[in-house]
Parts: sequence; structure tokens; C-alpha cells
Amino acid sequence: MLVPRSIFKAKMAVRGRVMTERQDLLTALHDAVLGGDDAAAGRLAEQTLAGGLPALEVIEHGLVPGIHEAGRRWEEGEYFLPELVTAAQAMKAAMAVLQPALADKGPAFSLGQVVIGTVEGDIHDIGKTLVATLLSASGFAVSDEGASVPVARFLARARDLNADIVCASALLTTTMPKQRELAAALKASGLKARLMVGGAPVSKGWSDAIGADGYADNALAAVALARKLVVLGATG
Amino acid sequence: MRPAELRELARTRALLLDGGLGSMLIAGGLDEGRAPEWWNLEHPERIEAVHRAYLEAGSDVVHTNTFGANPLRLAAGGLAGRCHEVNAAAVEITRRATRGTGLIAGDMGPTGHMLPPLGTTTVEQLYEAFREQAEALAQAGADLISIETMSDLREARAAVEAARATSLAVHASMTFERRRRGFFTIMGDPLVPSLIALAEAGADAVGCNCSVTSAVMVAMVSEAAALVPVPFSAQPNAGQPHVTAEGVVYDASPEAFAGDLAAMVHAGASLVGGCCGTTPEFIRQARTALDATVRQ
Repeated sequence: MLVPRSIFKAKMAVRGRVMTERQDLLTALHDAVLGGDDAAAGRLAEQTLAGGLPALEVIEHGLVPGIHEAGRRWEEGEYFLPELVTAAQAMKAAMAVLQPALADKGPAFSLGQVVIGTVEGDIHDIGKTLVATLLSASGFAVSDEGASVPVARFLARARDLNADIVCASALLTTTMPKQRELAAALKASGLKARLMVGGAPVSKGWSDAIGADGYADNALAAVALARKLVVLGATG
Repeated sequence: MRPAELRELARTRALLLDGGLGSMLIAGGLDEGRAPEWWNLEHPERIEAVHRAYLEAGSDVVHTNTFGANPLRLAAGGLAGRCHEVNAAAVEITRRATRGTGLIAGDMGPTGHMLPPLGTTTVEQLYEAFREQAEALAQAGADLISIETMSDLREARAAVEAARATSLAVHASMTFERRRRGFFTIMGDPLVPSLIALAEAGADAVGCNCSVTSAVMVAMVSEAAALVPVPFSAQPNAGQPHVTAEGVVYDASPEAFAGDLAAMVHAGASLVGGCCGTTPEFIRQARTALDATVRQ
């Protein structure tokens, strides 16, 4: 049936306005993450769901570009730790709203189970917490064990949670050997979890030397690496 | 030592500080990850030996083994409630080593507790922790308070204000990295404005330590020393850390390091020394290089 031209135009105008409203919401969400405004991020996430936007689309087109832009600004030297952490917190606030909507679609949505901590003897927390926040915001189930975590506890948690990934941070050259110990213990345990290492003195060379599965030099790279390892784990 | 005395002394000649302490204690058998402050109580003779080695190498100032001896950090290392005991022991050890021939700098490092948005600690809590440590150091007889390795200007300022309350001279140093837009702490505090702020808060000398190589730190001194109103300090690492089969090694040679320290004095630094990975040999070579340097 032919639709009269005037009605067609009116329909397109409505659709266009809805599209614009959706785009405006996603842009606002992007900006809330980038600006580290967790209250606005949570509120906007609720609006997207009320407006009927699929949660996955909101994550992919609102939250993820926002956190990536924050990461780009960090690399440019425009953002520092506080900006990056508040951006991650805003993303987490929005994810807390969107997560249940994802869960409705089937089994609990998670890219994989992560166990993360700073190695024993090392009380440095910031880098590890930032990685944990970003992993969680990116859709991983994250168990943050805190600082100064003994090797045995990493293993026990990885076993209990059937973890896909163990992340171990070391901020001191004096505590780095604990990463080597963990790498050996994890291999010997026969658990499926892959090991990611990070921390200021840690390098790819060190990661290779101790037999870890990967190294990331910043929190965003850690998320990319975790995604890669989970895919590798699923296929090989 | 009164504040004016430190300022005057640093204007008269370049003071040579000491080098790395924690790395020396680890080389001497300190367990990995154990709070170095324990050794003030358990192995005072080993700490005294390190101080002595730096003094013999030519240090004018040595730092007490109290980098983590504020109540908040002591609690994390199993030494809760022992702030006065630990700091008093550390000053006494240093006094035995100097025997009046070198200045005792009471060392104060970060608490490890974060202010918002990274944490929930308040500036008042940080001030209170630093006040308790600074008082303990002053009562035990430190000549000055030396605040080091700060990343957050707000925490550094709290430490300076707490140290000022003792009426001792105060040195305060922050850790900057080279970013694309200049030198900043990881928290985003910029080099020159941060150090001016610390001077305004009452520090008698300000500067930068840790994180970077001596070559990068020469650039920091060149950029900042002329712009801050008090004597400038610089304590770089012994190059970059590398992991080998034998453990962690730093890649700078004592000769190159000493040359850079002399260049820093040339660029306006008044207090120079070493941070992570530096040893008495670095300081010995620095002494030779400084003695051969005519200040501008």
C-alpha cells in the first residue's frame, strides 16, 4: 500500500527525532564517562533503558567510546590518574544499571572471571584497582583480592571461581619475584586461568621470562589483553 | 637546624645527600616486601653500616630509615602504634653513624593512603599522621625533616605543614614524570607550580626525586630551579631498572650519574643525591665531580 507522501514525511520526521534523541543520550553518556560524573552516568543509563535502547548498544556506543577517549587523553598527557579513575567509576555506575538488562537476555553476562591482586609484600593499590575497575566496567566478573596477596590465595581464588584470568600487579622491583613464583605455581596447578602481570617495573621481557601469558603497560591495554586471552582460552 | 640555617647553608655550597637506602638494605638481606623500618629495631648495626658508607663516600646529609615510618604506613607493615619507637631508634642509629660529622635528615614518605577521588582519606588524617612522625623525629634529634617521593600535592603540603610545626628546617621533594605536555606527577600536579606551592607552605628547600634517570632530571632542574624561591634539590634513580637472572639491576654507571649531578648543580640545584638503585660508589663519584665543579 502506498503511503501518502505527507504521512511518510511525518513518520520519517518522528523517526529522525527519536534517532536524534537516542544519539543525544548516547553522547551524553559518553560525556558523563569522559567527565567522570558517576551520578549522571547512572541516571543517563536509566534513561536509555526507559527509552527502550538495548543495553548492549548503550555499552558499545556510549560507554566504551567514552572510556576509550579517556584512555586516549591519558596517553596524550592530558588526563592523569584521578581523571582516569573517575571515568572508570562513572562507567562502572552506568554498568551497574545496564547489567541487569543484559542478564535478562540469558545467562549472566560476563566476558570472563578475573581474580586480581597486588603480590605479597607489596601494598601498592592504585594501578591494580584501576585495572580491576576497568575490567569490571568492560564486562568481566572481577574478584579484587586487594594488596599483598599470597600466591596460595591467588590459586585458591582462581580454583574456587573457576577463573579465566589471574592478574598480578607488582609496584616494587623487590616484589616482582612473587610474580615469577605465581606463574610457576599457576602452571603447576593445572588450572585453566591465564596469568597477566603489570606494575611500574614490569616489562614484556619480564613477563616472557617468567612464563606469564601477557603483560600490559596501562589499564586500557590490560582490558584489551584480557579480552584477547579469553578468546584464546575459548579456542585453544 | 633552624629553617634559615638550611637555606643559608644550601646557598653557600652544594650539599651532597646520600643515595638509595632500601635497595642497600635488600642487598644486605632484608626480606623482599618486609617493611624496612623493622630493621631499626632488629638490625640497627646494618643500617648504621649503610649510613657510614654514605658518609665515608662524601655525603653531607644522610636520611634516617623512616621513609614508611608514619603511623598509617607502619600499621600496614605490622608496626601499628610504634611510630615514636621506630623513629627514635632510626634517628639514634643515624646519630651513631654521623658522630656529628653529617646532618641527620628525618625521612618522611607518603602514607600510601589516597585522597579523593582515588581514596577516602582526608587531608586532616594525613596531616595527623605526618605530625606524629615529624614530632617523633624532632624529639629524637633529627637536624631537619626531609619529605620525599610525593605524588599528590595535597599530601605533600600536609606533610610540609606538619613538619613546619616542629620548627626544624624542612625539605620537600616530589616525584615527577615526563609526559607529552611537560613534567607532572601521576596525579597531574605540574612541576614548577607544585614546588612553588610547597615553598609557600613553608618548605625551606624543594625538589624532585625518584622515577627518572639522572639525564631526565637535569632537564627538570633546568626548567624549575630558577623559578622556585628556595634552594632546589634533585635525587634521580640510578637509571632504569632491568630484571636479570641475578635480580634487579639499574643501568646507569656511577660516572655518568656523577656527571649529571654536577650538571644539575650547574643548572641551579643546591642539594643533590641519589634515589633507587644508587650506592655509596655513586655518591663517591658524585663527591669527586661536585668538588671539581665551580657553581655558577
